[in-house]
Amino acid sequence: MELQSKYRTLRDVPQLDYLSPGGSLCAGCGGLLAVRLFHKVLGKNVVWVNAAGCMTIMVNYPLVPLKSNWLYTAFASAPAGAQGIRDALDILIKKGKIPESEDLKVVVVTGDGAAYDIGLQSTSGAIYRNLDFYYLCYDNQAYGNTGFQVSSATPVGSSTATTPATPSQPAGNIQKRKDLFEIWRAHNPPYIATLSSSYAVDFLKKVEKGSGFRGPKLYISLAGCPTGWGYDPRETIREEKLAVDTGIWPLKEAVEGKVRHTVVPRALRPVEEYLATQARYQHLFTPTKRIDVIRQIQNDVNSYWEGVADREGFDIKLVET
Amino acid sequence: MIIRVRFHGRGGQGAKTASRILGTSCFIEGLNVQDSPVYGAERRGAPVTAFTRISDEQILERGYVFDPDLIVVMDPTLLDSPAARVTDGIRKKGVIFLNSPSVTHITKQNIASDFRLVNFDLTNAAMEMLGKPIISSASAAAAARLIGMVKESSLEQAIETELEEIGLSEETIEKNVLLGRKVFSSLEPVELMTEESSRELKIAPLELILEGNGLEDITAAGNSSVSRTGSWRIFKPVVDYEKCTACTVCYAYCPESALTLRQDGKPVIDYDNCKGCLICYRECPPKAITLEREVVAF
Repeated sequence: MELQSKYRTLRDVPQLDYLSPGGSLCAGCGGLLAVRLFHKVLGKNVVWVNAAGCMTIMVNYPLVPLKSNWLYTAFASAPAGAQGIRDALDILIKKGKIPESEDLKVVVVTGDGAAYDIGLQSTSGAIYRNLDFYYLCYDNQAYGNTGFQVSSATPVGSSTATTPATPSQPAGNIQKRKDLFEIWRAHNPPYIATLSSSYAVDFLKKVEKGSGFRGPKLYISLAGCPTGWGYDPRETIREEKLAVDTGIWPLKEAVEGKVRHTVVPRALRPVEEYLATQARYQHLFTPTKRIDVIRQIQNDVNSYWEGVADREGFDIKLVET
Repeated sequence: MIIRVRFHGRGGQGAKTASRILGTSCFIEGLNVQDSPVYGAERRGAPVTAFTRISDEQILERGYVFDPDLIVVMDPTLLDSPAARVTDGIRKKGVIFLNSPSVTHITKQNIASDFRLVNFDLTNAAMEMLGKPIISSASAAAAARLIGMVKESSLEQAIETELEEIGLSEETIEKNVLLGRKVFSSLEPVELMTEESSRELKIAPLELILEGNGLEDITAAGNSSVSRTGSWRIFKPVVDYEKCTACTVCYAYCPESALTLRQDGKPVIDYDNCKGCLICYRECPPKAITLEREVVAF
């Protein structure tokens, strides 16, 4: 039987903030919101191990928004940094040099660039060593920090600084996203989940649930990016919610490898509604509508959910293409 | 003759593009030009500076403009920001252009040197024409008109060239041209006092941002609130406590932790640090949060 969660409505969002305002990130940053909510569940005793990326500029030394601890590492080596900290803490506790109560939680925080591309091998190593840590990837689906270049998390059809829509490549990016969830699942960690801050209760529940497991725990949080995706900063929650409601961003978890979807839209909304609101997809609508690309994206979403509905035994109304 | 212009805007407002449009319009007039922006580690909403140098001779200077003849302040709230330092190095009898609906509440006492102030509400013009507060072409048009060396046709051509390069739609470019024309025709050239083409090398003084013992501030956890990012706002969210139902949606979704809850569950906005992303305004179920156009000055 499932344990009762502390979090049932938005009113249960913990009222202590471990981030102070005044950081250097863009107004309306979805990644920062994910970090803030994540921190609320874990509490103050956290060491963030931060691979290079957008979240690096959260800190504008000597001004630091975090009320916890922060270690900054190179792009590829955050899980190695986490291993070092975990080992040091374990040794100090074992020797009695610090009390058990100072058993800090080690959390790697990376963007999709580090998680999907450049840090994948060190991550794989850390999971293999069964390192007891959290891994939070704020996924804005490109290298947002350096000007929105393509990453292997960039979805089909998105234009980025390095995959703009051109006459020879009118769809923008043509590569499909890597499935980081499944890459992790193949390593057999105890807990993996996808998150969206727009479903904040689901978000908090999953962090709470994962903290009950020892070993590597992955969280991939969709992170709306006003500058990169091209929407007004005030729309961050709307965009993230649309991604879930259109089925583009499935909210799921895998406990000991067993996958379950935690938010199932009874009827999917057409992906067009999501795509049309973002500048990174505008080439699919003007000057001519690229029905082929939109249909391909819709078909991918449909076939994903068809498979899930079969496996998990629920009904879902798909969008006709 | 060399004219040095410095633009002060916020990330996303179009300071960089404004300096490019100004540069290109002078280039079309056959002048030598140079333009370059500066970004810090901060992103959208943070103070951004861009420089344009214009001359009828070869320009041998490089780098920051420390002593501008014309300063274009694209957002009046920047006057308040110690990070932006908008009035630094203004030349004697230099010109400050201020994007603001009025100058009545602005005094000159905080600026030591003698300068001339011109103001026009670019944001309002942009809201009317484009529907959003993006004022790259409007600011460029203002600067181009003030320096008095650019024909309207060259400005239009420059707006088209630069905005096309960014990849904006034809419709948007057209609206920007109209906006540029409106601003251009609403202002009059000012005589800039610039005379010599070269001058002594200047070095910007380095100042500590934090007062007192730096170490204390560094070791204090969560000290970033002293950076007062509240000056990043263009619009200010205001809570109507009568309408507020204490649902806490705004609190849950504020990325900045710039909202706290009172005893009764209603939000208090930390205006010193709220960057004005307006997620709280957009998500508020009873629409108890409204917007105010923010114009503050010293």
